[in-house]
Amino acid sequence: MAPTLLQKLFNKRGGGAAAPHGRAPGEGPAFSWSSSELDLNEIRLIVYQDCERRGRQVLFDSKAVRKIDEAVVQKMADEASVKTSAKNCQASNGNHSVSSHSPSVSCMQNIKEQIPKYQYTRPASDVNMLGEMMFGSVAMSYKGSTLKIHYIRSPPQLMISKVFSARVGSFSGSNNNLQDSFECINQDPSLGKLSSHQNGLGTCRSGSNLGVFQLCSSKLLQGVSEGGPLRLIRSASFFAAHSTPVDMPSRGQNEDRDSGIARSASLSSLLVTPFPSPSSSSSSSSSYQRRWLRSQTTSLENGIVPRWSTEEMFSMADESCSSNPAMVRRKKIAISIIFSLPEKEEAQRNFQDFFFSHFPLFESHMNKLKYAIEKAMISCRKIAESSQRVQVYISRVMDALGEFRVTIWNLYSVPRIAEPVWLNMMSSTLEKNQLCQRFLKEFTFLIEQINKNQFFAALLTAVLTYHLAWVPTVMPVDHPPIKAFSEKRTSQSVNMLAKSHPYNPLWAQLGDLYGAIGSPVRLTRTVIVGKRKELVQRLLYVLTYFIRCSELQENQLTWSEKAGEGEQVLNGSKITTALEKGEVEESDYVVVTVKNDPALVPPILPPKNDGSKNNSTAEWVREPESAQAVPVSSKEKREAIEKASQTSETSVDCLTGSFCKGAADGKKRTVTDMGILSYHSEESSKLEDVMDTKKKKNQNERKAEKQFSSRSSAVPCPERSGHRTSHLEKVTFQIGSSASPESDLETHRREMEENLKTLIKHPEVIHCASSSTSLTVDASQNQDSVEAAFINKHNVCYAQIPPCEEKESILNQHMESKGTEVNLINSISSEMLLPTDNIETVKLPNMKENRTLCSGNLENYSSDCVEADSAVKQDSSKVGAKDVPYGDSGRKTSFRVEGDIPRNESSDSALGASDEEGDCCIPDEVHHDNISKRLEEFAEVELPLPRSNTISSQCVKNFGRSLLGGYCHTYIPDLVLHGINNDEKLKQCLLADLLHAMHHPVLDEPIAEAVCIIADTDKWNVQVATSQRKMMDSVKLGKDVLVSSQVSSLLQSILQLYKLNVPADFCIMHLEDRLQEMYLKSKMLSEYLRGHTRVHVKELGIVLGIESNDLPLLAAIASTHSPYVAQILL
Amino acid sequence: MNAIVALCHFCELHGPRTLFCTEVLHSPLPQGASSGDISGQNEQAEEEEGGIQMSSRIRSHSPAEGASADSSSPGPKKSDMCEGCRSLAGGHPGYVSHDKETSIKYVSHQHPNHPQLFSIVRQACVRSLSCEVCPGREGPIFFGDEQHGFVFSHTFFIKDSLARGFQRWYSIITIMMDRIYLINSWPFLLGKIRGIIDELQGKALKVFEAEQFGCPQRAQRMNTAFTPFLHQRNGNAARSLTSLTNDENLWACLHTSFAWLLKACGSRLTEKLLEGAPTEDTLVQMEKLADLKEESEGWDGSEEEEKPSSQPDVVEGQELSKSSPETSLVPDCNSWNVAHRRLSVFRSLRHMRQVLGASAFRMLAWHVLMGNQVIWKAQDVDLVQSAFDVLRTMLPIGCVRIIPYSEQYEEAYRCNFLGLGPHVQIPPHILASEFAVLVEVRAASRSSLYPTLFDDEQSLNKYEFLVTSGSPVAADRVGPTILNKIEAALTNQNLSVDVVDQCLVCLKEEWMNKVKVLFKFTKVDSRPKEDTQKLLSILGAAEEDNVKLLKFWMTGLSKTYKSHLMSTVRSPTSSECRN
Repeated sequence: MAPTLLQKLFNKRGGGAAAPHGRAPGEGPAFSWSSSELDLNEIRLIVYQDCERRGRQVLFDSKAVRKIDEAVVQKMADEASVKTSAKNCQASNGNHSVSSHSPSVSCMQNIKEQIPKYQYTRPASDVNMLGEMMFGSVAMSYKGSTLKIHYIRSPPQLMISKVFSARVGSFSGSNNNLQDSFECINQDPSLGKLSSHQNGLGTCRSGSNLGVFQLCSSKLLQGVSEGGPLRLIRSASFFAAHSTPVDMPSRGQNEDRDSGIARSASLSSLLVTPFPSPSSSSSSSSSYQRRWLRSQTTSLENGIVPRWSTEEMFSMADESCSSNPAMVRRKKIAISIIFSLPEKEEAQRNFQDFFFSHFPLFESHMNKLKYAIEKAMISCRKIAESSQRVQVYISRVMDALGEFRVTIWNLYSVPRIAEPVWLNMMSSTLEKNQLCQRFLKEFTFLIEQINKNQFFAALLTAVLTYHLAWVPTVMPVDHPPIKAFSEKRTSQSVNMLAKSHPYNPLWAQLGDLYGAIGSPVRLTRTVIVGKRKELVQRLLYVLTYFIRCSELQENQLTWSEKAGEGEQVLNGSKITTALEKGEVEESDYVVVTVKNDPALVPPILPPKNDGSKNNSTAEWVREPESAQAVPVSSKEKREAIEKASQTSETSVDCLTGSFCKGAADGKKRTVTDMGILSYHSEESSKLEDVMDTKKKKNQNERKAEKQFSSRSSAVPCPERSGHRTSHLEKVTFQIGSSASPESDLETHRREMEENLKTLIKHPEVIHCASSSTSLTVDASQNQDSVEAAFINKHNVCYAQIPPCEEKESILNQHMESKGTEVNLINSISSEMLLPTDNIETVKLPNMKENRTLCSGNLENYSSDCVEADSAVKQDSSKVGAKDVPYGDSGRKTSFRVEGDIPRNESSDSALGASDEEGDCCIPDEVHHDNISKRLEEFAEVELPLPRSNTISSQCVKNFGRSLLGGYCHTYIPDLVLHGINNDEKLKQCLLADLLHAMHHPVLDEPIAEAVCIIADTDKWNVQVATSQRKMMDSVKLGKDVLVSSQVSSLLQSILQLYKLNVPADFCIMHLEDRLQEMYLKSKMLSEYLRGHTRVHVKELGIVLGIESNDLPLLAAIASTHSPYVAQILL
Repeated sequence: MNAIVALCHFCELHGPRTLFCTEVLHSPLPQGASSGDISGQNEQAEEEEGGIQMSSRIRSHSPAEGASADSSSPGPKKSDMCEGCRSLAGGHPGYVSHDKETSIKYVSHQHPNHPQLFSIVRQACVRSLSCEVCPGREGPIFFGDEQHGFVFSHTFFIKDSLARGFQRWYSIITIMMDRIYLINSWPFLLGKIRGIIDELQGKALKVFEAEQFGCPQRAQRMNTAFTPFLHQRNGNAARSLTSLTNDENLWACLHTSFAWLLKACGSRLTEKLLEGAPTEDTLVQMEKLADLKEESEGWDGSEEEEKPSSQPDVVEGQELSKSSPETSLVPDCNSWNVAHRRLSVFRSLRHMRQVLGASAFRMLAWHVLMGNQVIWKAQDVDLVQSAFDVLRTMLPIGCVRIIPYSEQYEEAYRCNFLGLGPHVQIPPHILASEFAVLVEVRAASRSSLYPTLFDDEQSLNKYEFLVTSGSPVAADRVGPTILNKIEAALTNQNLSVDVVDQCLVCLKEEWMNKVKVLFKFTKVDSRPKEDTQKLLSILGAAEEDNVKLLKFWMTGLSKTYKSHLMSTVRSPTSSECRN
């Protein structure tokens, strides 16, 4: 095939993604990081030690290391005594054997091992400052590792540092010698001169700051056990000056218990939790669940959940030395890498973009570097002679740093595949047909031409087995909208999840690419080896169809102050639109230019009580979502309510009506009738026992709220669901608010009374599905706010009527339906009618809650209410509470109201009553956590968020574009896919890389195995290397792949179809269908395995059409939907 | 974004303080999962915390409140908190914003309510302002660990003519557990937070300049005269950020800004994730459901006869929304259950095969798969219904047309499954046709005719089944591949019913995929016969029976799929491009 085709394929823009000089700019569309921006030698490494008693020492600063000039080295080599050379040689060999898998091959330094190569000069002047930044001015006693990133403005640098607690082994007496010898490095700086080789460390002496290896002066320090919460152990002057610096809740002694809480709420319990899924066995459920789990495990709402304990320490002792935990000293090691940023702003931004979006990879390499440093420190200790010891140490660390630099540079500048097939097909619809043809042409070429020894089938089998992210893309959806396009669609459920529970899409994409979605989690990369570049590139190109991941979009959110159409935004962003002719498409583009919003978003404040119409917030008032219009008459109303309750699927039917009315400015009566019922039913966290299943079913939140107001949308409309409860239901009914002249106060009052009476007279109506209801209606003092709350021990609800300054009244009622008793407390502002009697009739737990409720309310309102105009006459406010049964009528409800139902007669004395009410309401200082908290939250002043506009653009700074590599000059461990010329370096590094990948997973979650698929187009074999098996010999990197007959038959039929001139896009549809078949077969396999512990291959073959060579593939697929398969098969 | 954003201040008297803090609250689980677990946790937490802590926590919620509102314990509390360390006035309930679309809430208080979060924020605040070192003191830092969360912090100064050094030190921090996300968001957060800081500083600068202009001596005096008493003086002079910026709505503004920041950062990146195409069965079911809806809207009597046949589909359609395609393909679980009680029914294909005997079943199944008319004559309606329910699982849903019971013969184009009363006459040409199979259910002449296979099965023993067709299938005929596989699956007792069901799903989908190709080839592209033959052999379906089967199954393709192929794929044939 003509190279021109390939050129087209790989370098659409004539760039050099796959071109020989792969690092040419413009690799992919809009995705180029020019390596010239990054100066390798400007990546600096500093190792610092902070010892409690001895202060800080620099253990290493790459800036202080100078490579000794080649000539000098030569000269020295000549001069050096035979003895020394021999020793050195021995030493370095020894080192290499110690850590054979941390390769000391540095591409940068090609130096003779025998002679000192490095000169250690005085560390740079900024090193003290950097030390401060690494450790902070106050040390932490936290035992795990701490990660930090600093930005240094001038010269522009980016520093990432990790601080570890040092693990020091218990050493024998020889340690002192070691220590002394290291300390000799730290002598007189003025001697810092390369004097003689014999005392060798002359070079190193110069650094007065070069640290001391305090390998151990083993003082017993208590400490290990207190690893828990962060503590400030070194008192800074600030703390000394102020004895009580921390205004934390008094919980000092309970810190350990706190962490206990955290652990109890940890991942394990989360994992047991059935995942919510959009439908019972939805398609893409595994993707969905992975994302959901991520959002939950990183959630802050319920306190933090430590996800996986990384007791990451800096090991300064051999593994062989038993590290006695009691011996751990308060010693910290900081490793810091500093990137000098290019001065040019754009270049700087490019690198920063790369750095921050690819941070997991940077971190992973940093961990690798740390490991090498540990090894260097440990192994050099074994060298007796101090001069050599230091030299070895320095050169080992420099080697590791060199490795790090090269890796980063490679990662940054590696050629990428310009047009990953899957991603492009997903994102660009315009050339889809062409894309399909192009892909199919390459695909069939490979099937036909290079399937020697089933090579291609084996490769594809391996890719499909390990890069599993294709599976969710073929899982059939079960509810396509009717008349939908029968093609793949974007997953709506995942979209919804992303909105309601944002997770990190970059992270999700990384997991997809590495195929880490099965169970057990395996992280996979694929390397194609071959001298024939063109062929390798073809393979790479085709594989980008099968190695799948999601496409990322970048969204820019803007707000505008006004919602009005076409209205020019005053303070917000200005958006100008222009129509431009599309280059390729028929259609025009709308080009949107956005001027950034100001960073401070002006709040839409509740209006002040100035009597003027305040419409500013009106536009923010939510539209009613499901408001039930109910006729005014109470009877009808009731019917409607009942009807509503019947129709409502949710088990909660509870209603409270309240009327508020407004008179305008004391003169004109407005016809504002508003009824607002917002109704919360929440399951309190307290009961798990009395859950009836019916209830559970309906625990989706239902919420509706409507606010009618001619003038006071400003009234805070608190609507708050207890966020700690797992479920809540909210239904808002809107009652009878037709703006009719009839609706004067009296009418309403009467209606309300009637309602109330009915309520009382017919307890059966009030019966709540669950057994008990307690209703509390209380008006707090300062304003005419009425609160109605239904409380029971299971559910808490509350309702409140916030201050209605302008005579509108609102009743928000939140109720919960499960109480045994109902307290109806209706208090008018002036008369504090919170009869203690009532409370006392309630069971004890309820009482507590009630009281807390009251006190909570008072607290919450006190501030709000100040704004209420006392002069405003509040005519009446009535409350009717009604509880409609929701079906479970098994239990009897007692509805008890003691005393009269108070009427709201006048609220003149609203303000005057505050004291009294306050007294009443804070009876016992019994605070109930949940309730009071909820109330606090409940009372918050609502501020609407500004309307948002989203401007989306394709995001190119993502893993999908950056980790699919082209034909590279060398093996690069991070890439999900790339090609290399030969496997030399691969052989050296692979096992170490795999082990490292397993121990320091870039995915930020534990993985079980790291895998690398190696396809060699020179030897025509495909092998899978894994972190779990050692390589047996030097020839083989891993295990040969079994070719799945499913895959080969798939390949053959695609090829044949293509040859029959079936259109490309249809071939691809068929390909997808066939992949779906594999998925279905895996379902069958998992079903088969459910009952079996042993697999009868014959049975599988004859009946199910599964051959033994299909088993690994199908089992891997099955592991994405049926985790138990792994336990049986793997 | 699952984060907390907070404004912190280093008070000259009291050290680092959290001033204002915005949290994000997501709706609970999308669907009813495990309320038990979570409520259990809460309960546990509560118990562990105990009452005393709670009260202290509440006080700390707005510490000044303790001094002002709580008359019993004034004094010491007050001194702990000055104007400068306070944001919302005592007793202020905080702010909340709702994002309707996502049902996310943003809540602001001075401190988080959750005790653990309180301490997290507190730690972050202390670290941000007094532990971590930022070069130049103003600027971004990231720090954190697994246990205390990860923090993006940006420190800055606010001008204050009364403060030592004429400025006060603040920071805005963002706390997350997902460090990867937080680090990914660095450029974004830096830009936005820097913007907020710039505006705050701008406001404060104006105030500062005005004050300096109005009272230029003040600073000087402060620097000279009051030095020894600096602390006390400053204590009195501690000013709130509101007054430093001369913005009484500052906190509301910060709430909105922080909420906006959280929203914008949370939706900064979104994924486009594809999911698989629905199976043909799913599509057909959806179509049937939609047709039914239309039908019921414009109902007319003439449809009445059709009604019984479509009823099962209604049930399926409703089930569809609750169950996966796989399970809904096993039709009528509920009727299966009902039937199970009555016993005189077929429970599965395997069961039917056992009852009818292998050869009779094979003949029957052959006809079913080929689309020939299957007529059952029986007294027992339930039995016939159960037979159809079982048999239909061999076919794609689109190929199933059932009239479960009729008092007269119905033509084959109307139904491929027909149930008739025992005395209904069947036209002779049908009886002689090779395109129909008749199953007659009669009372068994000998009770021992069929051995009892299951204990609960006596009821079927009272029948004997006679399967006849105009042209019986030759015993040596290979038959459609799928039939042989089905038979193998049914024979193998090791395979559970569920496995057989899955197996049927696989087989049907596999063959429907062949059907699709054939449809495309013959109906859409109208390719010549030779090509079609080639195609069939590629598909492994060149044998006569398989071809017949494919042709019949083609009738079961969903309209959606067909119209999709007709409309979109027809476009420029790739053969042109290729050659």
